[in-house]
Amino acid sequence: MSHLLDRLNFFQSKELERFSNGHGQVTREDRAWEDTYRNRWRHDKVVRSTHGVNCTGSCSWKIYVKSGIVTWETQQTDYPRTRPDLPNHEPRGCARGASYSWYLYSANRVKTPLVRGRLLKAWRRMRETMSPVEAWTALQEDPILRASYTKMRGKGGFVRASWDEATEITATANAYTAKKYGPDRVFGFSPIPAMSMVSYAAGSRYLSLMGGVCMSFYDWYCDLPPASPMTWGEQTDVPESADWYNAGFLLIWGSNVPQTRTPDAHFYTEARYRGTKSAVISPDYSEAAKFGDIWLNPKQGTDAALAMAMGHVILREFHLDRQAEYFENYCRQYTDMPMLVKLEEKDGSLVPGAFLRAADFTNKLGEENNPDWKTVGIDEKTGEMIAPNGSIGYRWGQQGHWNLEERKGEAETRLKMSLVLDEDHDAIEGVDFPYFGGHATPEFAADNHPEVLTRNIPVKKIKVGRKTIKVATVFDLFCANYGLDRGLGGDWVAKTYDDDVPGTPAWAEKITGVSRDKIATVGREFARNAEKTNGKSMIIIGAAMNHWYHMDMNYRGVINMLVMCGCIGQSGGGWSHYVGQEKLRPQTGWAPLAFALDWGRPPRHMNSTSAWYAHTDQWRYETLTSGEIISPIAPEGDWDINLIDYNIRAERMGWLPSAPQFKTNPLEVAKAAKAAGKEIPAYVAEQLKSGALEMSCEDPDAPENWPRNLFVWRSNLLGSSGKGHEYFLKHLLGTDNGVMSGDLADEGRALPKEAKWHDEAPEGKLDLLVCIDFRMSTTAVYSDIVLPTASWYEKNDLNTSDMHPFIHPLQAAVDPAYESKSDWEIFKSIAKKFQEVAPEILGKETDIVALPILHDTAGEIAQPDVKDWKKGECDLIPGKTAPAFVPVERDYGAIYDRFVALGPLMDKVGNGGKGIAWDTKHEVQHLRDLNGEWQEGPAKGCAKIVTDIDASEVILMLAPETNGEVAVKAWEALSKATGREHAHLALPKEDEKIRFRDIAAQPRKIISSPTWSGIESEKVCYNAGYTNVHELIPWRTLTGRQQLYQDHLWMRAFGEGFMSYRPPVDLKTITAKVRDKGDSLVLNFITPHQKWGIHSTYSDNLLMLTLNRGGPVVWISENDAKKAGIQDNDWVEAYNVNGALTARAVVSQRMKDGTVYMYHAQEKIVNTPGSEKTGLRGGIHNSVTRATLKPTHMIGGYAQQSYGFNYYGTVGSNRDEFVVVRKMQKVDWLDEPAKKEAAE
Amino acid sequence: MDHFDRTMKALSLILSYPTRELQEAMPEIGGVLAAESRLTAAARRDLRPLVEVLGVGDIYDLEEAYVVLFDRSRSLSLNLFEHVHGESRDRGGAMVSLLESYREAGFEPATSELPDHLPVLLEFLATRSPGEAQEVLADAAHILEALTARLAKRQSPYGAVFAALLQLSGATADREIVAELLAQPEDDPNDLEALDQIWEESEVKFGPDPDAGCPASRDLLARMDRPVTPAPDWAAE
Repeated sequence: MSHLLDRLNFFQSKELERFSNGHGQVTREDRAWEDTYRNRWRHDKVVRSTHGVNCTGSCSWKIYVKSGIVTWETQQTDYPRTRPDLPNHEPRGCARGASYSWYLYSANRVKTPLVRGRLLKAWRRMRETMSPVEAWTALQEDPILRASYTKMRGKGGFVRASWDEATEITATANAYTAKKYGPDRVFGFSPIPAMSMVSYAAGSRYLSLMGGVCMSFYDWYCDLPPASPMTWGEQTDVPESADWYNAGFLLIWGSNVPQTRTPDAHFYTEARYRGTKSAVISPDYSEAAKFGDIWLNPKQGTDAALAMAMGHVILREFHLDRQAEYFENYCRQYTDMPMLVKLEEKDGSLVPGAFLRAADFTNKLGEENNPDWKTVGIDEKTGEMIAPNGSIGYRWGQQGHWNLEERKGEAETRLKMSLVLDEDHDAIEGVDFPYFGGHATPEFAADNHPEVLTRNIPVKKIKVGRKTIKVATVFDLFCANYGLDRGLGGDWVAKTYDDDVPGTPAWAEKITGVSRDKIATVGREFARNAEKTNGKSMIIIGAAMNHWYHMDMNYRGVINMLVMCGCIGQSGGGWSHYVGQEKLRPQTGWAPLAFALDWGRPPRHMNSTSAWYAHTDQWRYETLTSGEIISPIAPEGDWDINLIDYNIRAERMGWLPSAPQFKTNPLEVAKAAKAAGKEIPAYVAEQLKSGALEMSCEDPDAPENWPRNLFVWRSNLLGSSGKGHEYFLKHLLGTDNGVMSGDLADEGRALPKEAKWHDEAPEGKLDLLVCIDFRMSTTAVYSDIVLPTASWYEKNDLNTSDMHPFIHPLQAAVDPAYESKSDWEIFKSIAKKFQEVAPEILGKETDIVALPILHDTAGEIAQPDVKDWKKGECDLIPGKTAPAFVPVERDYGAIYDRFVALGPLMDKVGNGGKGIAWDTKHEVQHLRDLNGEWQEGPAKGCAKIVTDIDASEVILMLAPETNGEVAVKAWEALSKATGREHAHLALPKEDEKIRFRDIAAQPRKIISSPTWSGIESEKVCYNAGYTNVHELIPWRTLTGRQQLYQDHLWMRAFGEGFMSYRPPVDLKTITAKVRDKGDSLVLNFITPHQKWGIHSTYSDNLLMLTLNRGGPVVWISENDAKKAGIQDNDWVEAYNVNGALTARAVVSQRMKDGTVYMYHAQEKIVNTPGSEKTGLRGGIHNSVTRATLKPTHMIGGYAQQSYGFNYYGTVGSNRDEFVVVRKMQKVDWLDEPAKKEAAE
Repeated sequence: MDHFDRTMKALSLILSYPTRELQEAMPEIGGVLAAESRLTAAARRDLRPLVEVLGVGDIYDLEEAYVVLFDRSRSLSLNLFEHVHGESRDRGGAMVSLLESYREAGFEPATSELPDHLPVLLEFLATRSPGEAQEVLADAAHILEALTARLAKRQSPYGAVFAALLQLSGATADREIVAELLAQPEDDPNDLEALDQIWEESEVKFGPDPDAGCPASRDLLARMDRPVTPAPDWAAE
């Protein structure tokens, strides 16, 4: 294309025209070459979409399309502007997103529905003579036939199938399971709705209509910080990234902002230009470390000690030696510090007990409504004990005083924080605090302090009848817990930072390895800035700290610092836990669609950690005993039981959900209740008490209690998030696995007391595993059916994030490639099949949903004391001492008809969320007008939800965040409880209704709603807790305040009433048996987020693989590498009893000795050789992990410690794990075909 | 259609996903191929095992084999541009050009397969003049040869199809380009040493040699600098 022939080389024409005084000239040479460039960038259209991946980025992109083919993508730059003096949000987007167009046409794309050949062959043979249900029944009831495909999972053997066949098998399996075992044996796992909420809703809507189980994810990923619900009654709420710019001091703690929050990192840079001071805390020299004015590198897993010492400095310098006025006023009004705690006698000494309640007084302080749930403080003005406004007792059963005004009723008050002055206390008494730092595994520093520390506390004595109750304020106990001397005498309090007393910088130096001066400097400067700016000190915290078994200690240590300095609820300050794209902004509009609340309530929700722990039999290998984690000053109780036993008790008492729920099919239980002529709740209670009906949780290995069908969509459960990967393979899937651990019986450990033990553990619990994905992920490889889904440029959906305030779409730039379909269309087609095949065995049925006691409902104040009905400590009262048992009508012959229609309950019952309810008839009518109305059939008169855009409109119309009229209604509903006017926050936007086509044109900022604790405004950035502080809306906790003391019996029993440092637990996974001779390098196994992928997505993308090392890698320090003779890029193997993995070694000075990093989550489908240890394909990062539960996360029925889906519950920690690392002798690619005899 | 090359169509068919319909048609397809005089006797003989197994094999075994070879192995992808452009952004543009050439010839694709899917292309070529078809195939000769070699390594009977196509193209593939293609990583490799070499990086030295630069980035740049394997003309225009 040089046009050499057409061009003059040696001459210039004299005819050239000149203009502009000879500066310009007209040429006549051929310019056709320019067309090459024009054509290169020519396109037919640009479509707005995004990447629906579990990333907080939520970046809007331009997708370029030419002749119906995606050619490339670039970043959108049209976000609504911020305000003057604040940087704008763009550019947003990173290298990962920019490589996405590759995925569309990748050879790794799933092109057609795939089914295991053996399954399909058997199915077709059966179907020649049988109906679908008969065929599936015959297949499942023949153990050899069933094993012929279940044992082949993960070993290839797929053939293509038609959509018709694949959906028929799936729907039939579901119908059969619902009939034979119960609908609660059909599980579905899909995470993070915010990334593509319609796609999530498609599957969860189908499951919910059927009575299937929607599994949680945020807790399972261990991204849910239970410290947040404990302290604030809030799952997680955080400042948007733009608010970093407003901070005066940014403390980056375990977060790698430039690497993992790439599109937001510019705000950090800009904040530094503005002059914001920054400290970075990270054990390794991370990419974030270079941003800091100071870098602290503590020993991994000891952050709580660091936080405690900084808290010690802040308390000493800003609360005790001098009272910073802003801090003191903030703590009095917004925290539980002035609340009184009862001191209980235990073995002759005093220990902190429960909060003092109005009910503790003979006259109940005049409180008729919920005196058990109104906490008490001392009014400074009158010296009287009062139950001030705002505690949870005011939230339910009365109106108008659930607020944070400094009042009792209408009377003004001022609460007393401390009783330290002589005239304020009746005595100084020694109170015991547990100390856990004395015992640690050899890899962590332990000191020689005793396990009980007695410290002097100013105490007030109250006479109630003949009893005397001793009380102290939270603040006084809190200061003692931090080891601060207040002139009260006694031991274990420090006068100087150099004292070796738990809590001081000197003490923390021993544990963390960070010098005491640096600790004091950072703590002091953090607080000094907050004092000068009224709270503009911020902590950006990385989930790494939340992945330790004692994560709550890390998090509460950090939260305490923020609260002491009045940083929560102030723009530029606060707690920034950006983990998991947890912020589904239009949540209350989405929930009815997602959980089919328009047709039946409640849905079946399950906390995944407990479910996987039970169903993958990880509990059978538990090495952690309750004796290792119980407090030395635990109240009397039956604490010596296995961790699974705690979970069973929690399920029984209505604290945690169950799935499956009963050993008997709930459809059959409902029939029996009807036959007996009894109400369902009463019937179930009676049957449970008699033992005729058993809860499934008590015997997870009984075949009746197995999950039978599992859908995995928008997720890579087996390749990414599945802690205890090898246990999944062994017990749930029943295929080759690398488990090297013996079970409790083999190892001679104590067997559970509540869970029934089977000598032989089941293998292959699932009848059918269905994976819906666009790429052949690890999960897809192990599935029985793989359905090809539309990619993110091929479907319409909605996307939001916590990092910015916008809602924007995914859109179908092109039609789905090959035979793929959007998730919405896929589940619609499964629903249609279900409706066709089910009537053979199922019709209109009554189902019974066992519902735990839920947070943000009036029931959440159910159990002031812990009582187990099964032990005869109380009666079984559904919804009070046990789950509620709620009948739900299913119409199995109309699943599809219901799927595509907005059901009647929205009109009849209305909508709401987080304890607020409103009427939504008006919006439902709008949807009929907008989407059309069904003229006949079971959904006659209902609005249509046929397409993914219809579904988007349902969300947008019903949500306060996207419909100003609803926002005003929601704020008004909240005003009833608080007695304060809040609607002004939404009134200016009352007429704004955001539609799908609006966000297609430009991302839109959402509208302020009481679902969230921050506001959208032209004056401040979004920041969590803003409305609590500025609108005086209580936190949704027991005290109504930020609660730093946790008084539930189990919290005290496990020593976590207050925060303290707890060394990592000993998981005992490197046994003498598993460890090979000569293997000496033992390292702490850490799995941070990577740079070249978002979890496992993009990790099989060659562009990203090229930027890294082209396959799985682990990082180790130079010293550790030397010890084991490992050189950079060597193949190494890491193993323990849980399994083994293989990877290349990256030997780097960045690393701290004693740790090995394996970036989460590198797929084993790419360049992973066999492990010498297991002889199997070298595993993923989760091959060496196993989930371990923590009893405090099971607490329920207790104000903020009540269950909510993804809000509270057990979490899957994995950082306490150790592995043996060694160089591989032989790299075996295992390229022989899998042995076939297994299935013959 | 004035002209229809049944051999080309037959090759398109046997490279398609095996179905019962295909199995029933195999005798006829085998007949067409056996009678093709453009192929050498050896090439025709080499096609026989595939023709036979496609005709009489268990359909599930055939389908499983097809899925693992052509749906699941990147290095054996039947989408030609996977081998030409890989994950480069040029791939979209190249597909657009190919689609436009189908349209120019008066056809509208009626399939969910992408335009660069080999059976699609072969069917298209069946409608072209022998000269034009030969020219297009000749452009893809290096891919055909590489796939022949890879399938031979796996002892797959499908290799014969690519060898036959190469013969029909009348071209000899450029050795260098083929070698380069063959040097690219395989996702289900047999040759361990070759594989190791691919993933091996040059040693990083933090030394005094100022000219050395960062070897990792130097290597990376050198790789990127290498001319992209030339696309067939009909794709580049």
